[in-house]
Amino acid sequence: MTTATVLLVLVVAVALAFDFTNGFHDTGNAMATSIATGALRPKVAVTLSAILNLVGAFLSVEVALTVTNAVINVQNSKGAPNPELLADGGYALLLVILAGLVGGIVWNVLTWLLGLPSSSSHALFGGLIGSAIAALGMSGVKWTGDGSKLDGVLGKVVLPAIASPVIAGVVAAVGTWVIFRVVSGVAQRFSDQGFRWGQIGSASLVSLAHGTNDAQKTMGVITLALIAAGYWSDTTSVPTWVKVACALAIAVGTYIGGWRVIRTLGKGLIEISPPQGMAAESASAAVILTSSHLGFALSTTQVATGSILGSGVGRPGAHVRWHIAGRMVTAWIITLPAAGLVGAVMWYLGHLLGGVLGPVVVVLVLAALSTYMWLRSRRHPVDAGNVNDEWQPTVQSVEMERVS
Amino acid sequence: MNNVTLALDGAWKVLVTSLLLGAGLPVVFALGVRARALAARVATQDGRDVDGGRPNPVGNVLALVCFVLVLMGIALGITIVVASGFGKAVSFQHIYPTLVSK
Repeated sequence: MTTATVLLVLVVAVALAFDFTNGFHDTGNAMATSIATGALRPKVAVTLSAILNLVGAFLSVEVALTVTNAVINVQNSKGAPNPELLADGGYALLLVILAGLVGGIVWNVLTWLLGLPSSSSHALFGGLIGSAIAALGMSGVKWTGDGSKLDGVLGKVVLPAIASPVIAGVVAAVGTWVIFRVVSGVAQRFSDQGFRWGQIGSASLVSLAHGTNDAQKTMGVITLALIAAGYWSDTTSVPTWVKVACALAIAVGTYIGGWRVIRTLGKGLIEISPPQGMAAESASAAVILTSSHLGFALSTTQVATGSILGSGVGRPGAHVRWHIAGRMVTAWIITLPAAGLVGAVMWYLGHLLGGVLGPVVVVLVLAALSTYMWLRSRRHPVDAGNVNDEWQPTVQSVEMERVS
Repeated sequence: MNNVTLALDGAWKVLVTSLLLGAGLPVVFALGVRARALAARVATQDGRDVDGGRPNPVGNVLALVCFVLVLMGIALGITIVVASGFGKAVSFQHIYPTLVSK
């Protein structure tokens, strides 16, 4: 095997690992509210979400090759890699992708450890931006696009990050407010039972949309790597085995369940009731589906968080824990630079050592960091058994501080 | 600054559509729940369920209409997801939704 082939194998493995973290980090986007209100038992919820993510991933046959193209300059508009990056079996481009993926995974695992719902897509973009700057300089990054459509870091990451949670929040708040008006005076056993079904339906829709949106990002990254290494040439389709592998990775990740993030979304922000849960998930589903229908990029995590906050604002007398929301927003803001920093450092590490050794060391560092963070999580484990425990602000904050 | 103009242009479209589907359908669902309670004539006073007298069958019909509307909305949503995956889009050109190639 040549050096580039070894690197390609590492890229594919790390990309699937990223897809896996994408799944478990985002289980809560769809299922946190259903788990918190007891509409679904925790294990049933993650199983349902995993199956729908799997189905969703197979439904995304759209060309995903332009995913990386949104933020970094390594491809032409058709998705084919720039020829100057293809020397030595695509080594240069593969190293940029590997370092970027590592940046995304490290940030995903760290925010999971802290129980913070941060965007997996932004973590991936951040990592790629960092490694592209390290490898190609500032011109390696597409900051604004050419102005003909929403593109670049500004159009695909920054602006959607500001707009989408606010829109989702408004929709959920309006929905919640009107729903509570409509059902005021209705016996609680009717409303709770009815809205639990509504919640399950709307949460399922979010899971399905998540599978179609997020799995294809990894499919695009792997296909780009295969093209760079010369093992694939078609820029209009994704190899079947890539599709199957990515679908399985995101589904398994979803099934494992990021319980720490689920807990924060379901119990941390507000004490959620079935009508609020349904309003929140419906708002999320509507915003995600409408945006992707109109061709806008967005983060499902940020939409879900905005919706849950909105359902808290819309219920008269509800208590929203704004300091936790503030912590999330802080995490969103530093996602891009933080993942970028890791991506850049990883690229330098791989580049300095070079050859087969560089990429292997990068992957070993990733494995060491992930294992360390997983061991840290065992000190205060959150799982299906205690995900719904009463949220005690002081204790929880202390825990969060202690872990961080 | 073209990105900002484009984003604002897209944002209000997303907001209006999402309000219709993401808040409108749940409200229809809530009306259905209310209608079901009307059918059973159960109400809440001081936090306790009380019997409101004779059941009212009209409530069940209203509830059914509401739930069917919501299910149609969800079916539309799933169709949009699936269709975009196969290079199709759902068009509202004829008011009722039809599948067209993108």
